[in-house]
Amino acid sequence: MEYGKDYGKPEMMAAAIIREIREGDVVFHGLASSTPMVAMKAAKALGKEFTYVTLSDGLDHDWSNPPTVASTLTANTYEGSVATFGLDEIFDLYASGKGDIAFLSCLQMDKSGRIAMSYLGGDYDHPKLRGPGGAGSATLTPVTPRTTIWKTVHDKRTFVEHVDFATTAPDINKDFTLITPLCIFRKPAGEKYLKLDCIFPYTTVEEVKENTGWIIDEKEAPVMDPPTEQELAALKRVDPHNILAFEFK
Amino acid sequence: MWGSDLVAQRPEFFQVVKSPFDDTEVVCVKALVPDYAIVHVQEADIYGNCRILGPSYQDALLARAARKTIVTTERIVGTYRMQEEPKLTAIPHMLVEAVVELPGGARPGICYPEYQTVTWDDHKAYQKAVKAGEVPQFAAKMLEGRL
Repeated sequence: MEYGKDYGKPEMMAAAIIREIREGDVVFHGLASSTPMVAMKAAKALGKEFTYVTLSDGLDHDWSNPPTVASTLTANTYEGSVATFGLDEIFDLYASGKGDIAFLSCLQMDKSGRIAMSYLGGDYDHPKLRGPGGAGSATLTPVTPRTTIWKTVHDKRTFVEHVDFATTAPDINKDFTLITPLCIFRKPAGEKYLKLDCIFPYTTVEEVKENTGWIIDEKEAPVMDPPTEQELAALKRVDPHNILAFEFK
Repeated sequence: MWGSDLVAQRPEFFQVVKSPFDDTEVVCVKALVPDYAIVHVQEADIYGNCRILGPSYQDALLARAARKTIVTTERIVGTYRMQEEPKLTAIPHMLVEAVVELPGGARPGICYPEYQTVTWDDHKAYQKAVKAGEVPQFAAKMLEGRL
């Protein structure tokens, strides 16, 4: 295995997302989700067999369609699809236990994986910031076997000690994963709190602790392998306009 | 919806009840019944039968949920188009109150495959109009010479 040298946080996060996907999975990503969109296209380019569903209605679209903007609703996630399968159908599919992963994001999260998507600051009727709400996350998180949250910043404003209003929260009996630019946290099925699972090659457990608002008990964590040359080549192939960088600007 | 603070926050929409089939507790979500759904499609006939020739999102659901549905369409087509391929009729006529022929009606958004990119200048003008409470003036400008 040859590891790439020319990579940064976007490529490392994308590689981590690619590695979450297992053969045979049914995988969903939400709106405005350029990071998992590019990673999932690259996973297809690497030959991984899985079912790709998303809000554009497209099911297993032609992954070689390059995205030109960070929106995940444009023609590139629709053209070349083998079927149309809308969000209402995706919700039903996941509710009946036939989904595997939902790649979702958050405004804030705490150690038990409670996610703020509705608002931040103030109260429900008079928020400082009104978020997109709970359409996808509140519906999918409780019923998805491996909900995976991706967030392209890692700081104490995002990962807080306590989320005041949880738009959704993980099911205690299901796996739950958080991928950040620095590391991966996991809450295994049956457990209540996120644990530091691994860190990325360019950081340290200390740096992760300094930028996380909850107390991390782990004193050390394994370092995830850097993106391979094959993974980097797949990312370049499916994303010639570098839309992957958009969320990291 | 389990685990969501929304359930307690909005009891008018969410209630926890015992399943009639076993003793498990389930979250019930109240059906939304909008007064109007306004849906833009690529093709409609004069009776309101609609063909959505790209992603349909939840437009057909909206049309079924709303008391009345108004359709705007890129073009009016003959009913024979629906008769040739009935499966492509996403919204049937009895759900539709009115049909408006309005090419470009989804701008500054997108309508696949007719126009596939957002018109950003108009979109920014729309956001500005919303903030300023001047949406009617914005709409009048967008529709100038087109009706």
